[in-house]
Amino acid sequence: MPSLLYNDMQFSVEPSGDRWDISYKLPSGASALAAAGLFPGLSEADAAVRTLALVKTIFPVGIKSVGPDVTHPNRIGDLKIVGPDVTHPNFIYWDKDSVSSPKTL
Amino acid sequence: MEIKGSVALVTGGGNGIGEAVVKHLAKAGAKVAVVDMVQKNIDRVVKDIKAMGGEAVGIQANVTSEADTARYIKGTIEAFGQLNIAVSCAGIIRDGTMLSLDKETGKVSKKLGLDKWQAVIDTNLTGTFLTMRDAAEAMVNGGWQGLLVPISSVNKVGQVGQINYSSAKVADALMPKIIVGEFLMRGIRNIRCVAIAPGYTATPMLTGMNQDALKAILEDVHLGRLVAPEEIASLISYCVENEALNATTIEITGGLCYPKGIAK
Ligand SMILES: NC(=O)c1ccc[n+]([C@@H]2O[C@H](COP(=O)([O-])OP(=O)(O)OC[C@H]3O[C@@H](n4cnc5c(N)ncnc54)[C@H](O)[C@@H]3O)[C@@H](O)[C@H]2O)c1
Repeated sequence: MPSLLYNDMQFSVEPSGDRWDISYKLPSGASALAAAGLFPGLSEADAAVRTLALVKTIFPVGIKSVGPDVTHPNRIGDLKIVGPDVTHPNFIYWDKDSVSSPKTL
Repeated sequence: MEIKGSVALVTGGGNGIGEAVVKHLAKAGAKVAVVDMVQKNIDRVVKDIKAMGGEAVGIQANVTSEADTARYIKGTIEAFGQLNIAVSCAGIIRDGTMLSLDKETGKVSKKLGLDKWQAVIDTNLTGTFLTMRDAAEAMVNGGWQGLLVPISSVNKVGQVGQINYSSAKVADALMPKIIVGEFLMRGIRNIRCVAIAPGYTATPMLTGMNQDALKAILEDVHLGRLVAPEEIASLISYCVENEALNATTIEITGGLCYPKGIAK
């Protein structure tokens, strides 16, 4: 039963007949199923390789930027808000949450 | 197309109609990708499908994001090796009249905000477009048999209080004609497109609403009850199996009428 750590998340690959289930640990310590009945006939080692590729796709690494709100209209009443230039090539818009550093306001 | 052995992706699969569709298809032997914004609903549905002996992968995503769309198409193919059915159930409502008047002065007191307009257009129209476009791309490049299913609504006829929702849903209802016409033009023969336009359906969205309002709605439904999500799921299964169904939008409403009896 291979287990792997990715993006602060603990995944395990468990056999289910000739297929594989992928489960992961929730922050509460409980376990949730990410997928069931995958990769028929694959060996444990091959299933682990396919699982890592799959979890990298379905649970992407990221951080959530809390502000600024780039879709906000530029004016609130008389107040002009000078926002970032979102068309600048150096502007990175990243809106994924991080498991180890979730958004705190 | 046979359901057994096919691979289906359902957005909004964590709740309501989408949940019924993934479960129905999984029961019939399809491998399913459950795509939704709410991870705990995805986890619940994947667990239920496993308990039914089915095969499923859950992918948390926002259908309004082009990057997320590419990711859940890729994830589905990584899990199951192909993609045959794409159903776009993710949808929201943000109701309100375009203008509201002050009772005393008769002047406009409130306008429907751009936030309510944009959120509904983004999810119900742009989200559907992105899923249909990228699913079709995968099906063409993979050479797989496919069916695209945008979810419209009977309110495509133009429901007061839903200028945002009805505008998106009438556009969704048009998609099959345009998409299949373009497929013919480009020589793409392996993919069909059929939209479904449900009437009032017993999902948490409706069963949780004011019961008096619900009773009033039911007075105009010939069937005398809400449509069950499973009835929509079984219609979609039928669309998968019946290859003559193509380039059309099918209404499933239980016989929804305007007051005084003309069917909508
Ligand atoms: N319930 C009805 O009476 C009815 C009638 C006609 C049409 N419809 C349409 O059917 C579809 C499903 O409706 P429902 O009643 O099952 O709704 P629902 O609220 O029960 O389920 C919708 C699901 O979509 C998900 N979702 C919403 N926005 C999303 C986003 N941006 N990205 C990913 N997932 C997102 C939600 O998390 C939810 O799980 C919608 O398109 C709706 O407009 C519903």
